[in-house]
Parts: sequence; C-alpha cells; structure tokens
Amino acid sequence: MAPQLTLQAPLELPPDQVPAYLESLWSQGLKGSAGAATFTLVVWEPSWLQQQLVRTGRLDGPISGLLSEELLTAARGAVTDCGLPPSTAPSAPELAWALGQQEGQHSAPDLRGQFVDRAISSHRPRRLITLAPTLTADTPLETLVAAYCPLPEERGSGEDACGDVVVLRGGMGAIQQGLAILQPLIEPDLPCWVWWNGSLDESPDVLEALATPPRRLVLDSSIGSPRRCLDQLVQRIATGQAVNDLNWLRLRSWRESLAMVFDPPSRQGALQHVVQLDIDVEGQHPVKGLLLAAWIADRLGWHLQTSYRLPANGDGEGIGAEFQRHDGESVQFRLMPVPVGLAKTHPGALVGLRLICAPQGQAPLCVILCSESGGCMRLEAGGVASMELAEEVVPMPNESEEMELARLLGGGHDTTNPLLAAAAPLAAKLLPE
Amino acid sequence: MGATLTNPLRVGLRQERVIPPQCLVIFGASGDLTHRKLIPALFELFRQRRLPSEFAVLGCARRPWSDEEFRSRMAEALAPEVKRHQSAWNQFAACLFYEPVDLQQPADAVRLGERLEAIDKLKATRGNRTFYLSVSPAFYASGCRSLAAAGLLKDPSRSRVVIEKPFGTDYASAEQLNRVVQSCGQEQQIFRIDHYLGKETVQNILVLRFANTIFEPIWNRNYIANVQITAAETVGVEERAGYYESSGALRDMVQNHLTQMLALTTMEAPGRFDPEAIRNEKAKVLQAARLANEEEPWKCCVRGQYSQGGNRLNPVAGYRQEPGVNANSTTETYVAMKLFIDNWRWQGVPFYLRTGKRLPKRLSEVVLTFHEAPVHLFDAAGGSPTANQLILRIQPDEGAGFVFEVKAPGSGMRSRPVDMHFSYDESFGEPSDEGYVRLLADAMLGDPTLFTRSDEVEAAWRLYTPLLELIEDAPWQLPIHPYESGTWGPGAADNLLAEEGLMWRRP
Ligand SMILES: NC(=O)c1ccc[n+]([C@@H]2O[C@H](COP(=O)([O-])OP(=O)(O)OC[C@H]3O[C@@H](n4cnc5c(N)ncnc54)[C@H](OP(=O)(O)O)[C@@H]3O)[C@@H](O)[C@H]2O)c1
Repeated sequence: MAPQLTLQAPLELPPDQVPAYLESLWSQGLKGSAGAATFTLVVWEPSWLQQQLVRTGRLDGPISGLLSEELLTAARGAVTDCGLPPSTAPSAPELAWALGQQEGQHSAPDLRGQFVDRAISSHRPRRLITLAPTLTADTPLETLVAAYCPLPEERGSGEDACGDVVVLRGGMGAIQQGLAILQPLIEPDLPCWVWWNGSLDESPDVLEALATPPRRLVLDSSIGSPRRCLDQLVQRIATGQAVNDLNWLRLRSWRESLAMVFDPPSRQGALQHVVQLDIDVEGQHPVKGLLLAAWIADRLGWHLQTSYRLPANGDGEGIGAEFQRHDGESVQFRLMPVPVGLAKTHPGALVGLRLICAPQGQAPLCVILCSESGGCMRLEAGGVASMELAEEVVPMPNESEEMELARLLGGGHDTTNPLLAAAAPLAAKLLPE
Repeated sequence: MGATLTNPLRVGLRQERVIPPQCLVIFGASGDLTHRKLIPALFELFRQRRLPSEFAVLGCARRPWSDEEFRSRMAEALAPEVKRHQSAWNQFAACLFYEPVDLQQPADAVRLGERLEAIDKLKATRGNRTFYLSVSPAFYASGCRSLAAAGLLKDPSRSRVVIEKPFGTDYASAEQLNRVVQSCGQEQQIFRIDHYLGKETVQNILVLRFANTIFEPIWNRNYIANVQITAAETVGVEERAGYYESSGALRDMVQNHLTQMLALTTMEAPGRFDPEAIRNEKAKVLQAARLANEEEPWKCCVRGQYSQGGNRLNPVAGYRQEPGVNANSTTETYVAMKLFIDNWRWQGVPFYLRTGKRLPKRLSEVVLTFHEAPVHLFDAAGGSPTANQLILRIQPDEGAGFVFEVKAPGSGMRSRPVDMHFSYDESFGEPSDEGYVRLLADAMLGDPTLFTRSDEVEAAWRLYTPLLELIEDAPWQLPIHPYESGTWGPGAADNLLAEEGLMWRRP
C-alpha cells in the first residue's frame, strides 16, 4: 500500500502554541468526528540511515522515514563502500554510523511524520506524533501540525473520521525540550502506542520518557547491541507493560513451519526426545535466533543448564548451551553466524534450523527448516542421512514494518504476548555475559 | 475434530487475523444460544488472545438484568469452563455488559445507541459494532428496522448485523426479509449464518477442489456419474418440537446446510479468493439447480417420519409420540430428493440429497461417484467392479477417501475395491475451531466469505419452492413414509435411485 501525504499542508507553529491550536481544531473543525475515540501513536523516527544516505549523495530525498526499495539498494551499496562485511544488514546501526564518517553536504526536504501509510491510516489514529531528530545536533525545535483525513475511498460512506498529525523536529537538544510539549498531547484515556523505530542503544532517556506504562511499546530487538536489546525487552515485560517486538513477530513463519512439522499426532511423541537444536543466523546478531530457541525450550519445558561462547571459526563467534529435558536427558544447542552474500533488511535474520529427536527404539528424526533465500547445506551435513528427515522451506514474510505495526494497531493488547513474555527472559539467559 | 492431543508448538500461533476493537451486541442475551454457544465461543477467542483489549460484549434482551446479573448468569452457565480458567474468566467477564432492550420499541434502540457511546468511551472500542440477532426470526425485520432508525447501521465499514437461521420460511418470506434488511443497511453489512459453513471440512471442499490440479479436470459430467450428499443424525427432535413441527427436515437442513454443501461441491472456480467472487459462483450454480422433475415434484422427492424403534430394554419413541408433537403430525423428519444442475459442467448428472433424524449413524458426507471403466477387462471379486468414488467426509472422522480397484491377491486377475483414506485427526491432530468460534471471529473481522448472501438464500429457497407448495397445497401427493428409528429411512427413498440402477451409499 502506497504511503500518502497528509491532505492538508502542515502548519508550522511555535512549539508553545501547539496545544492551544490542537484544542481549537478539535473543538471546531473535527468536532464530533469519529477519530475521537481511537488511539495515539507516537513514533521515534531518527531515520539515521536515510539521513546519512541523503547527506552523502547516495539517495535522493525527501527524507520520509520509510524503508523504500531505493533506500535498501543504496544501503547495500554503501555496505561495501564502507568496508563492512557483506552480511551487514541495511538497518544495522553500524552502517549509519560508518556513513556518518564520510564526507557530504547534500540536503533534502524532511517530510518525516507527514507520510501516513495506508495500513496505519485505515485505523484512523486520533493523533500521530513523530519525533524526528536531525543529524545536526543544534537544529532548533520545529513543530508542525496538520489535521489528517483519510482519503474518501478509505472513509466508506460513513461520517468523516479525522485525526491530527504532530511533528517535532530538531537536534537532540531540541527534541529533549520537545518532550515536555508532547506529554500533554497524549490523551490519557485512549490507548497509546510508542513505536521506537530506531536503535535500542540510542537516547535511553527519550525512550524512558516516551514509553512509560501503560503505553504500549513497539520495538525491534534486532537493532542495537544484543545485550541491551534483550535487557530492554526483559525489563519492560517484567513491569507488565505491553511490549511488541517486531523481531519476534518476524519469527512467525518459522514458528508456524516448525509447529506444522509436529502437527501429525504420530510425530508429536518425538518432541519429548529432542537431543540437539542448531540455528544458523546471518551476521553477528544472535537475538532472533535466541528468541526462537527460547520459545522452543519454553514450549517443551527444558531447563537451561549453561551457556557459553563457541570458539570463533572463520565466520565469527557462536553460542552454545545445554538444556535439561523433563526426563533429565540433555539437549545441546548451538547458534552459529553464517556469512551471506546479500543480507536481509534486519540484522540476525534466520538462515536455518535443525532439530534432532532420538526417541527410544525408533529411528532418529531430523527436522530441517531453511529460509527461502539461503540454503542450509551446513545443517544438512553430518550424519543426517541415516535419520528420518523432515525438511521445510520457510516462506519469507514480505511485509513492511508499517504493515506489521498496523496489525498491532488493528487489534491491540494491553499486555505482552505470553509466548514472548516467556521466551524473552530465557533468551537473555542464553546470551553469555 | 476429536483429537485432544495438542502440539505444544501450536499453542498461541493462531493470530494471523486480528479482530479489530469493537462492541459485540447480542440481542437475545438471556436466550439459549447465547449461553450455550456464543459466550463459550467468545471466551474461547479471549483465551486464545484473539480478541483485542478494546473489546466489549453488550447483552440485550427485554428482561431487566444488570451487568452483574448478566455476568453471573453466564458464569453459571459456563461453570465447568469458568472453574478451569477462573482468572481468565474474571478478565473476560469485565468486558460483559447488559442493557434491557425490546427490539420492537424504537425508543429502546435510541437508548441502546447512548449506551454504546458510553462503552466506546470506556473501552475505546472505536465505534465499531457487530449486532448479533439471536432472537426469534419473527424479530429479524423489526430488529434491523429499529437499529437503522436509531442510526446504528449508517456506517457500513463500522457496523454489521449477524442474522441467525432460519432466514425466511420460503422464497417469498426470504425475499421479503431481504428487502427489509437491505433497506436498513448495505449487503456487505449483513452476515447470514449457516452453521455448516463454520465447519473446517466444509471449507476444505473449496481447498481440495481449487488448490489441486488433479481434481478439476475430472470434476464434471464427463467423469462424474452421480453425486450423493448426506447429513444423517441419530438424535430425534429433542426439545425443539415447537420449532420443528412448523419447519421439518426440508427447511431445517436441506434448504441451508445441504444446499451449501451442494453449492461448494458444484460451483465454478472463482477468479480469486475473495468473498464476493466465491459467493458469485455459489449463487450462480444454485440458480442453475432444479428439482429433477419440476412438473411432477412428487416423483423426485420422498418424505419420511421416524416411528418407534429400539428394543424392549431401550425403546425409542416415534416422532408423533415425542413431547410437543401433534399426534397426527405430518412434519417430515427425513427427506430425500433428486436434483439436476443445468449448466455445461453438470448437465445430466443426478444429485441425490438426503437428511434425516434417528438414522443409524451421525454423519455428513459428499460422495462423488465416477463413471465405470468403459471396458471390464477383469473379473471383480464382488461381481462387477466398483466405480471409483471420492468421499468428502464432513463429520465425524473428518477427511477424504478415495475408492478404487486393485488386484486381489492370489493367482488370476480379479479386482477388488480399496479405500485410500485421509484423516484430519491423523494429519493435524489439532482440534479445529468449533463452528461458532470461526463464524463469530469472521463476522467480527468483517469477512463475509462463510456467510450466505441474499441471492444465495433466495436461490436456495426457489429451488425447493415446488416441494414446499406441494406440501402446502396437496400434501397427499408427497406422503409421509414412516421409517423405523435407527434405520436408513423409508424404503421409498431407495426407489429414487433404483430407477437409475443406483443405491445409496451405506457408510
Ligand atoms: N438454540 C440453538 O441451538 C439455535 C440453533 C440454531 C439457530 N438458533 C437461532 O438463534 C436464535 C435464538 O435462539 P434461542 O434458542 O437462543 O432462542 P430463545 O432461547 O428463545 O431466546 C430468545 C431471546 O430473545 C429475547 N427476546 C425475545 N423477544 C425480544 C424482543 N422483543 N427484544 C429483545 N429481545 C427479545 C429473549 O429474552 P427476553 O425474554 O428477556 O426478551 C431471549 O433472550 C433463533 O433465531 C434461533 O432460530 C438457535
């Protein structure tokens, strides 16, 4: 679905006049509109990568905050130019950082917060607030406001449903100052989602200020250092806040494919006899692989005994662990980074999974799941030939972040999904200190 | 589907389609269906996290209950479930509300509108509403009218109406009801329930036909000799005599459930998997269907009524002896008939439909029998070779079977039939959603694929009009044949097929 611009040109107002302006907008223009009772969406939208690609002349503007095809192509080109390993994902913060070291003074209009994806606008947010920090640290605070109406075809023949759009833009100092204006703009009686569309390593104080419970947090545990990502996830879930992790949601097709293998009742017994679990991931970000392993371990009732780093082979360091099953037998786990020629958009995408079950008195069962794009030669090697083999190719979800987010907004929960709530702490323990 | 073994990796995975925030308004909240089916289905959806946090159920009926009373009545009715999941129930019960509403009082609908706005504020349900009419069919029309008059149906993207069965009692009443309903809202807002469409295996007919290439080339008159559709029940009329006496098997089962199975089995492939594309094809094929003999409908239909059965220790009452049934009742509890479909694909292929109560087995199935091999090269163990059959089992033991001839072991070249069997339970082992869970979820999602459209309902009624008129005007021409409880219906039903040298499949 194509994103679209707000229908009204946004109005630039001095920051202190924003609340009064919005107040009058709702008491006059939007009075009685159905947008009144939906939700607020607050987006932290640094778009460092896009800003750097534009500044270094690798990408044309405007700066939209969206991950377009052109942006991904430009980013993949930049990976090589910056001398980063080819398995570096476009959205890895290392890439934006490396680009920051390069020359360039190109500029483009900054329209962040003014594009609304159709998938999101169809839910008629009452208020969309975007925080758009700029590369230059001392840019003063700019505030933009616009009433927003869905296009007629989205509206149906019912009454007009409108919301408003607020953008706070400026250097980091200005953004801090903007936080004070922002808080009263969030209607306390309506659900509020905070989408942290950036690295979990950056601006912890802004995250702290924005994502206070009971606001629902949307983050991406593939962006930021693995330790910080998992700790944030675990701590926030522990407070009872609703946490939605896009990295976890992207595991959906892997979980579905694995569950499918064990649907026939004749196979379900084998799940009690898993002896080995191997997961291959792209590059050096293990969080997604750890979440998958933790989910399996939690569902099958395994207890973690130890976890350790595996000696570096050519491709980098892996993670090993030992679990204990209900019946006291042990399960060996290994997560290995594998090099890929063309990395997926997000760090640590899954390449393959292998699960070996050894039920007593029966032939061992080996389940192999492979991603659509990569092979899993590594997992197919090594004695697998003598086992009953179940191999599945996992389809690649091809949905934008906005679609994923829209799904959350479309039927939200005020608590964390219990499967994620159970998997996250275990994944954090799996990551060796 | 029977199996209780669950795959631990499956738990919590069914979240592909999220139900949007909304208030579900149930009219008839104090009635039987609400506590037996609707609230259990909703509680199931809640426990699977398929309901959003912004969700409310507003129960409505005439009696002056309070929110609290509604909650405790529902808790009572679901006691075993509630006990098993007490804390989940407490959370769920907090979404239950009640408002006394008489659907025939326009002023009540206005008050209802105000209550709904208060709930929107309280639960942030965004003004989305699903109105479920679980009241006597006599109130469908007036119910829709008062909702429309109170302005509660004016936004088609945010309000819809679910209508229970039966939708009309004949062609004229269905058409009249459609007219009223359509004057209150748009067709896309109207969700007419047919419970059979909530069954996984009924939906599977579509997948089996249109996701595989091997069936479609032979799915026509060139290969298929005849089709039998059976829905057999072992139970009698139970407590529903009041309703059943005025309805009978033709209205209660054939016009809706069997006809839906017929439509899914015979429709053309839709251009895309889209509710309107599918419903267009279903409506089209039903419009092409007709009784095998419209001029003399008594020649293609047999009605029956169960009589006493069982044995001395376990006697089973006949229909006329059931409580609430007229001792001279001529209501049919069994009906069998022969149809044709006048289109390119099905010209000349007879379709045999039958349904009945107090039959020996509970089962629903569609059986496609293929033409016999043109030349009989081999001796068959059973005399003549059995024609190939594809059996789509709807319930129980859901799955599909294929009957074909193989060489009987031993010297010589005799053939005998074998059955290749696919079973849902053995392959998936997962209990699938109960019909109401699926249908409620779809209605709240606004997905009408599994609901019947106005033209489908009308085409289905039109199809049986000659029979209904005959029963009304000249019942002696379509007499009630008694059959002993626990048998496969009256012998006359066998004659329907015998003229073509066929027999009912004995499952
Ligand atoms: N029960 C089943 O298994 C089943 C199966 C298939 C289809 N259905 C269909 O589902 C519908 C409901 O069946 P049911 O068995 O639940 O019926 P029921 O037990 O007789 O309940 C009827 C409900 O309607 C309410 N009601 C009656 N007049 C009303 C009015 N003027 N305004 C508002 N509410 C009114 C009644 O409550 P008050 O007296 O308090 O108003 C009661 O809650 C029927 O259309 C039936 O054909 C039922």
